[in-house]
Amino acid sequence: MEQKLKQEAKSLLEQGKVDWIIGFEPGSLKFTTTPLITKDKNDADRLVINPFIVNNLANFLTEVKGRVGIVAKGCDSRSIVSLIQDNKVVRENVVILGVPCPGIIDLGKVERLVGKDRDELDDIIREGDKVIIKVNGEKKEFPATEALFDNCLACEFPTPQEYDILLGEPKPGALNLAQSRGNIEKLEGLTPEQRWDFWKKELSRCIRCYACRNVCPACFCQRCFVEETEPQWALPVPRWQDNLIFQIVRNIHVAGRCTDCGECERVCPVNIPLRSLTREMYDIVDELFHFKAGMDKDALPLMTHYEQEEAEEFFR
Amino acid sequence: MTSKKIDKKDIAKLLGQWSRQFAVLAPSKASGVAEMAEWDGTDTSFLGWYRNTVIPPKASFFPPMEEMFRFQKDREGYHIELPPTNEHKQLIFGIRPCDARALAILDMTFKEAYEDPYYLPKRSSAVLVGLGCTNPYDSCFCTSLGISPAQSTDVDLMLTDTGDEFLIEEVTDKGKGLIAKTSGLKETTEDDEAKAKEAKETSHNKVTRKIDTEGIGDRLLAFFDDEDYWEKIAAKCISCGICTLLCPTCYCFDINDELVRQQGTRFRSWDSCAFPLYTKMPMENPRLEKWRRVRQKVCHKYEFYPMTFNVIACTGCGRCIRLCPVNWDITQTLANLPVKTEAKRGKASNIL
Repeated sequence: MEQKLKQEAKSLLEQGKVDWIIGFEPGSLKFTTTPLITKDKNDADRLVINPFIVNNLANFLTEVKGRVGIVAKGCDSRSIVSLIQDNKVVRENVVILGVPCPGIIDLGKVERLVGKDRDELDDIIREGDKVIIKVNGEKKEFPATEALFDNCLACEFPTPQEYDILLGEPKPGALNLAQSRGNIEKLEGLTPEQRWDFWKKELSRCIRCYACRNVCPACFCQRCFVEETEPQWALPVPRWQDNLIFQIVRNIHVAGRCTDCGECERVCPVNIPLRSLTREMYDIVDELFHFKAGMDKDALPLMTHYEQEEAEEFFR
Repeated sequence: MTSKKIDKKDIAKLLGQWSRQFAVLAPSKASGVAEMAEWDGTDTSFLGWYRNTVIPPKASFFPPMEEMFRFQKDREGYHIELPPTNEHKQLIFGIRPCDARALAILDMTFKEAYEDPYYLPKRSSAVLVGLGCTNPYDSCFCTSLGISPAQSTDVDLMLTDTGDEFLIEEVTDKGKGLIAKTSGLKETTEDDEAKAKEAKETSHNKVTRKIDTEGIGDRLLAFFDDEDYWEKIAAKCISCGICTLLCPTCYCFDINDELVRQQGTRFRSWDSCAFPLYTKMPMENPRLEKWRRVRQKVCHKYEFYPMTFNVIACTGCGRCIRLCPVNWDITQTLANLPVKTEAKRGKASNIL
């Protein structure tokens, strides 16, 4: 798969079919990758596909000018389609190099499984439905579902639905729906007061680094409401109440655009379980509007149109 | 330097003694993220998991958010009410040498450049008890910045792990004074000193990430205008604030008022030069393009701060590398600076 990607990327650049390639290359720390954004065909040899390609590269599509060849997992391809729906990206300008994705390894989960930090591990290997962790010369085997990101366990479409070149065989999805919603179900079991206290505690840690927003392809506003000063919807001060408003409004803004790629939660430096909000919204959108984000590039974006049958009286 | 020692199992007793006199802060994950937090009176489990905190200890002196004052408006004008001064002195237990150095670097801004009335009282009354690293991260590169992971500088007391015990060095007079009033400590032997010395060397050698800081300011100056280079290295940056807000030496802050009816509060909170809206309020952000903001972050630490204070404003703590959403790595940026052909002086119009 990786070899095919290198060849395809190189020939796309050589033949002038794209100006840019956006993919992954090895990161500077163990078990990491890092986005590679390049115009140079010689860089194609650095491209990798492995269980650590965490980033949703669709985020960079709106940053480069010209035609782009982009590596996309299932969730990323849906983010690209969603951007096409919103007229942020022109389909003809993108060559999607689709990666059928078996799920991405959550290093946080791996660390908790073996009680060691990532840089103390010798190796992490994905083998079918197992993940093998080598530490201090010892081999430990776990079911893959225990080491993958929660959103990967829920992923219904691990194989890109929209692509130009598919780099491998389609992969099965929805590996463990119940486990993927574990944290959400726990929250749903609480009383509203307990949930309020939960989010108050979690959001008290927010430092307003805005990584959750900036890493999100669906967050493409030129100026985020939370930084508006006239009117000032929320203070740009990391007070939990203002943090709560930021997250609630961000969630509503990405409803129908969020593909549950899980990046917001992964990048949060203070471990706020943001996916418990975004996935809940994803499921509500599906339940109420029978809409899954980024499935059909010709569909109208959910939140920018309405149907005659809309339930709300004031919409008619 | 005089020293004492203590059994590891007696650390809770030691912190208990100090708690009577200080607000003792120690590494904690109770809030959901590793930070220096008020010690709960019993928990010493951090001795097992603590490598470094995510939130840098600067937060104890320069918090993510603080009230500067409250104000009230009536017919006579504005009335200002200053926040109550916290009389409780802080003792930070377990600060790493990189972060202790970072506070010394912050002092240059908050004490020498101007006297910050919020930072300084907390800082000057605090006691720093350092704890040498035994297991630095693969992202750590302190030794390239002239810091050793178990060195005893920039703190009042320094603890070194010698196995079942900690050796405690009395670094400053403040530290000596505290030890004089502390009971339950044991005298050290030459053997203890030798063990501590060896532990320090071992941890020093565990830091494998290196950068070359020789002439780094000049090298950055030479390529200040190399737009191609900065655009290339900035391409994957997402302009979030992780690397700056969580940098132990970054000190930018924003000021915001909240006015509800006639009652107001003025806050200051961490700000970041990575944000497109940075300094938008007083004028415009002169660094609209992302590459200018990335360049600013690198050059402020390695070129501009040394011009003013003669010290690099980076301690190699590695947080910016560990926590970056896209694995943007400052050590690579510095290592990959284009080979110098001829020094080009930055045009004044381009200095921002």
